[in-house]
Amino acid sequence: MSIEMLDPTHEADAVGLAMAGRLPALEGKTVGVISNGKRNTIPFFDAFEHALVETHGVGQVVRRTKSNYSAPADANLVEEVRTWDALVAGIGD
Amino acid sequence: MTLVSKRYEVADILAAQEFCHSRSWTDGLPVVPPTREAVEACLEWALLPADHLVGVEPVRERAVTAEKLAVNAVMAGCLPMHFPVVVAAFTAMLEEPFLMHGATASTGGCAVLIVINGPVRNELGMDGTFNALAASDRATTCIGRAVRLVLCNLLDARPGDVDRSTLGHPGKLRYCLAEDVEHAPWPSLAEDQGIPPGASAVTVMAAGSPRQVMNEWTTRPEEILDTFVAEIKANMRHYSIWPGNYAIVLPPQLRAHFAKAGWSRRDIKQYVFDHARIYRREWADVGKAAVVGRHGDQEYGAMPDPEHLLIIAAGGPAGGFGAVIPPWLGPKSKAVSVAIGACVDCTPPSA
Repeated sequence: MSIEMLDPTHEADAVGLAMAGRLPALEGKTVGVISNGKRNTIPFFDAFEHALVETHGVGQVVRRTKSNYSAPADANLVEEVRTWDALVAGIGD
Repeated sequence: MTLVSKRYEVADILAAQEFCHSRSWTDGLPVVPPTREAVEACLEWALLPADHLVGVEPVRERAVTAEKLAVNAVMAGCLPMHFPVVVAAFTAMLEEPFLMHGATASTGGCAVLIVINGPVRNELGMDGTFNALAASDRATTCIGRAVRLVLCNLLDARPGDVDRSTLGHPGKLRYCLAEDVEHAPWPSLAEDQGIPPGASAVTVMAAGSPRQVMNEWTTRPEEILDTFVAEIKANMRHYSIWPGNYAIVLPPQLRAHFAKAGWSRRDIKQYVFDHARIYRREWADVGKAAVVGRHGDQEYGAMPDPEHLLIIAAGGPAGGFGAVIPPWLGPKSKAVSVAIGACVDCTPPSA
């Protein structure tokens, strides 16, 4: 005799995520960088910031760090993102 | 009762196993097919409607409903009477201080330690004596496994998906025990955590693997605790120096010495808090000189305060074996206790 069983998963009920629209160019733009706060993010994002400014002509790089690298970004950080043209969220481990 | 989960038809119980394994719905062990009847029986036992929202995991914005908990609980082998404990465990894990996403995603690889107190232990046949940290009885085994299956199936905390653990540890299969309060000289862990006396409760902690210690050569509480303190200090040197919840498991043979000497939980907490301390420079002794920096003389305590030590009475009657259970990573996750089947801010189910 067959068995009818139920699905144990979330069945893809999560809110869908989509990549933000691409900027036509980075020149003169403000790019935010949110680090998770681990030590190795520092040299990595130093180099990244240098490349953004020197290679791509970014006007300003805003560096921010989460207060807890295991938790979502703080509310004030999420609010500040609205003032930037682009955002890079990075994990260093 | 209306269940919304998608339904699948399989030929028989063996086909059900391959169906589930092939979709990564299991931990590798066989599962009980979650039929509508079995899921409804869990929900009815807990007096919960299927759409009861136990909570929302905030990072992935994922609803944790009673129905999905019940489906996974059945798969893990839970009987209906086990199900309220699974609900309570997730109620606790969804409390913000537990930081469930971080604790289940971290490379640190902790597992959810679940400690059960109150009358429900005896009602469900739990045994906090022999082999207390392993598969000591059906109820703690199935409940602990159910928590893991929910994390995998509902929150995608499968290895390599959300679960990024470098190693993990065997407690990820199940890490659930009942406290042996009947043979303890103190009130239960749950009471110590603020749960009213007589209530059944769960305490959850994001926990590393147990580190077993042994001291059968003294009756002095201070010397017994020195052994536990040494293991805590070793963890601080070898793993993480940051203060957080530590748990110690004390078996009857050692508890008897504390009882005879008149030591309370508070006395034990204070002694461990006072002595479980290392200097940052000790990292250099274990190959971590690179991170000592300029603050080698800075002292670190294992816990922010004595209350962060969880004392668990458990273990078989013979043997001076105890365990230190370290935190996932310092203060990032806090242990949480909730009463089972008690709801202080919700309305009763309508139907």
